Amino acid sequence: CGFTPAYGPDSAANRVLSQIAVDEIKTSDGFHLVRQLEHRLGRSAAPKFGLSVALTTREEGVAVTSDNQTTRVEIFGDATFALRQLSDNAVLLSGKTRSFTGYSTTGVTTSELASERDARERLMVILADQIATQLIARAGELPE
Amino acid sequence: APAEQVVLLADSVFLRGNSILTATGNVEAISGETVLTASKIVYNSVTDQITITGPITVTDGGVVEIFADFAELDSALQNGLLTSARLVLDQQVELQADSIQRIDGTVSELNSVQVTSCNTCAEGESPLWYIRAKKVTHYSEDKELLLEEAQLRILDVPVFYLPRMRLPDPTQDRATGFLIPSIKQRSRIGLAAKIPYFIAFGDHRDLTLTPYLSRSMTTLEARYRQAFRTGEITLNGAVTDDNFSGFNSRGYLFAEGEFALKRDYTLSFDAKFTSDQAYLLDYDYGAFDRLNSELALTRASRDENTRFAFNHFRSLRTTEDNETIPTLVLSAQTQNRIQPAFGGEVLWELEFHSHTRESQITTDANADGIIDGRDVHRLNAEVGWRDSWWTQGGFNFGVESHLAFDVVNTAQDATITTTNYTEVTPSVAANMRYPLQRMTASGAQQVIEPVAQLAWSGGATRDGATSDAIANDESSRTEFDEGNLLSLSRFASDDRRERGVSLAYGLKMSHFGETWNAGLSFGHIIREADQDSFSVSSGLTGRASDLLVAGQMTHDNGLSITGRMLLDEQISLTKAEASGGWHNDRLGVNASYVWLGQDAEENRPDILAEWNLDSSYRMTRHWTGLANWRFDVADNRTTEAGVGLEYRNECVKAQLAVSRRFTSSTSVQPVTDLSFTVELLGFSAKTRDKSYSRSCNDAAY
Amino acid sequence: QEFKVDFGVSTSDRDAPIEVSANALSVDQATGKAIFDGDVEITQGNMRLTAALVNVVYDEAGNKIAQLLASGGVNIESGKDSAEADTAEYDVESGVIRMAGNVALLQQGTRITAGKMDVNLNDNTAAFHGRVRTVLQPGNN
Repeated sequence: CGFTPAYGPDSAANRVLSQIAVDEIKTSDGFHLVRQLEHRLGRSAAPKFGLSVALTTREEGVAVTSDNQTTRVEIFGDATFALRQLSDNAVLLSGKTRSFTGYSTTGVTTSELASERDARERLMVILADQIATQLIARAGELPE
Repeated sequence: APAEQVVLLADSVFLRGNSILTATGNVEAISGETVLTASKIVYNSVTDQITITGPITVTDGGVVEIFADFAELDSALQNGLLTSARLVLDQQVELQADSIQRIDGTVSELNSVQVTSCNTCAEGESPLWYIRAKKVTHYSEDKELLLEEAQLRILDVPVFYLPRMRLPDPTQDRATGFLIPSIKQRSRIGLAAKIPYFIAFGDHRDLTLTPYLSRSMTTLEARYRQAFRTGEITLNGAVTDDNFSGFNSRGYLFAEGEFALKRDYTLSFDAKFTSDQAYLLDYDYGAFDRLNSELALTRASRDENTRFAFNHFRSLRTTEDNETIPTLVLSAQTQNRIQPAFGGEVLWELEFHSHTRESQITTDANADGIIDGRDVHRLNAEVGWRDSWWTQGGFNFGVESHLAFDVVNTAQDATITTTNYTEVTPSVAANMRYPLQRMTASGAQQVIEPVAQLAWSGGATRDGATSDAIANDESSRTEFDEGNLLSLSRFASDDRRERGVSLAYGLKMSHFGETWNAGLSFGHIIREADQDSFSVSSGLTGRASDLLVAGQMTHDNGLSITGRMLLDEQISLTKAEASGGWHNDRLGVNASYVWLGQDAEENRPDILAEWNLDSSYRMTRHWTGLANWRFDVADNRTTEAGVGLEYRNECVKAQLAVSRRFTSSTSVQPVTDLSFTVELLGFSAKTRDKSYSRSCNDAAY
Repeated sequence: QEFKVDFGVSTSDRDAPIEVSANALSVDQATGKAIFDGDVEITQGNMRLTAALVNVVYDEAGNKIAQLLASGGVNIESGKDSAEADTAEYDVESGVIRMAGNVALLQQGTRITAGKMDVNLNDNTAAFHGRVRTVLQPGNN
């Protein structure tokens, strides 16, 4: 049915994606997003490409009970990424991706604190995986 | 101003053998930034006077444009009189006057003036609204208009009169003065008016005082902002005296700030206080039902994530007693990544966490299912190494190993016998990933990626069966989604860890096409032994987890949907969440759906399902309809609903909105809100959206 | 500041003798014109005209200069004024100077450039045409 290994011997992903340096993001979310991206794309010693990600998140209360208790919060994450050639900073490929994770607020206060932090970490893993998958799929668009 | 050089361009120039120079035909005079065009200019060098016959236009660097029929100015074009003139500010506000006196090129005094920012098509047609004033002085340096004996007319009907009135000019972004007042009608508060007054103390500090008055209450709202070289603070607050709450005075204060410190540290604080439980909801100052005040020192980079935080909670929920919930939380955590010479990544972590409850009672006296006075302190240290490789065939193989050391102290809890315990948790995992790719006939790229992870963690499961139970104040609400399918412990916090052997596997399919992208992924976990502390709706109970199904679709036409659900063994729903949006230039819709099954452990006695819709539709060029609606599917009742109508053109923006919240409890009543605001556009540096301007040629008024 | 363009030729000077010097002189018997060629310099009173080539046209009696036709880059100076152009026609009889092509008049801080300039020495008036550009230095009179 036409599928070939994305990281096969002569695949675009293999040639290109191992030479990406992910730009640093100086926030806690950024730490988790960059770490997951480096796990999926590798941390290159002699990078040819730079990957920058612009990240925005917002929280929204949902599942409001009849006595006005917001029992769940969803964290929405929007990531816009751009892959540039380090030699001349020309942007070769860019894209957007979005997702959300939820956490319950019906537990005690410390459960809400821990759940929110865990939800943010999970959201960063999801966004990083989506960016990595999109880069794998579109690696063919990149020059040799 | 120094004698600026004046350049005159014209079709012909005549010198009369005396001190008169006459220029005629497409005349243009340029002096410094001032450019003047006219049909004829006579320059008298002795009197240094320029007499100009129209049609005259004068512009000075773009903000101020003057159109006149006749003018007499000095040669530097800075001082003089223009008659039957129009002054246009930043192409937005137009002042028609019998005459304009220009002083030093920066001040314009206009006499018997009509001020408006509305377009008019037919000659002599009066604008939608205009201010008639005996005299208007425009100070371009202070960016301010001073109107004397001003009368506002709407549809040519005089609305109010002021002997003196100051207005900001369109380029003003910061000046002391009244902001746009609004009228609100809210249940129990009644018809109320808000009149905000902004006071700028220089460029770095400002205070906004807003009297909020109605028959049944008087409130003063205040916002104070201050910017420092390395940070900023914002304080929002209000004090109220009302006749329906039973309190003689009520109020709230939210203070937040952030400062950049040396060595990349950031200090931030966010303090919230309120006088009583219902105040914030009664006056619509925020939907918080728990006030989490925080002081945090953080530093984050590629290889380090450090956070020291102190949190103080105050619950506004009627179902919670602030004595028996953890209100003081101290936490210090640092995560650090190292790239060792032999490859892979080492992550080491140190965490200290302590939360305490004011109550000293060691039993569940208030029968809310949680010990009243329990305090927990824990110290966690963890070090891990991971690496992954690509084989020739495009197969990714990774290994992970961790060693965690936990020290936990649980105090004031009669049900816990081992008040102090230490636990060492070794864990090791191997994971596999095999992405396959193809290009479809239409040129779209598709990726299918199976993933799997076999993991083992040691250490003793403390679930009260094999060894003593441990407190669960932090990880009582665990979630399962694509973000933690492959993690070694899915508990929200390090106060407990998953143990034993587990196999997590999944499949992720993605489509990246010309006009639309889509993704669908599945996940499932089978484990050697059931874990304690997973609630039913987490989907992780038992030896086989629920099936995780997650999907996403985005289309160029602005539609995007993301959804996730958990299906149990009988393929019936445990939990489902979806969120979608459709945005194009006329329509903006955000919708979300949540379905949460019954779960006593998450004190949800029955199903909770909710639709939430928030939309705006621009029906015509000027009319926009707004609607939001939150519907409780399980109880078949509307929780919140609101509609709004907004009319906007180039010079006025009016909004009428009605909304009602139907929820009620012992401390909160249902509330209906009606608000009406009218804003005269053109008097502050708001971004101008020209798509709303009326144009004379089409009938879309 | 006076916008007088008198080139120093006040009415009394108009009958002052005109001296002409040049590298070469040739006379065309038929037309009665004299052609001065190369560094031509013509002075009358304290007005001085220099040009590359000047045709001098005498009146019928043949003893007074009726017209001076200068070309090849003309410069007229007198006292505080100076003007330059590609060509210039000085009709001594009517007291009118017509200059054309890259005309530039410099007069005490005022600089006027134009396509054509007609100066009437009798009433010291001047008319400029073509896209006229005047640079005024106000306030220094």
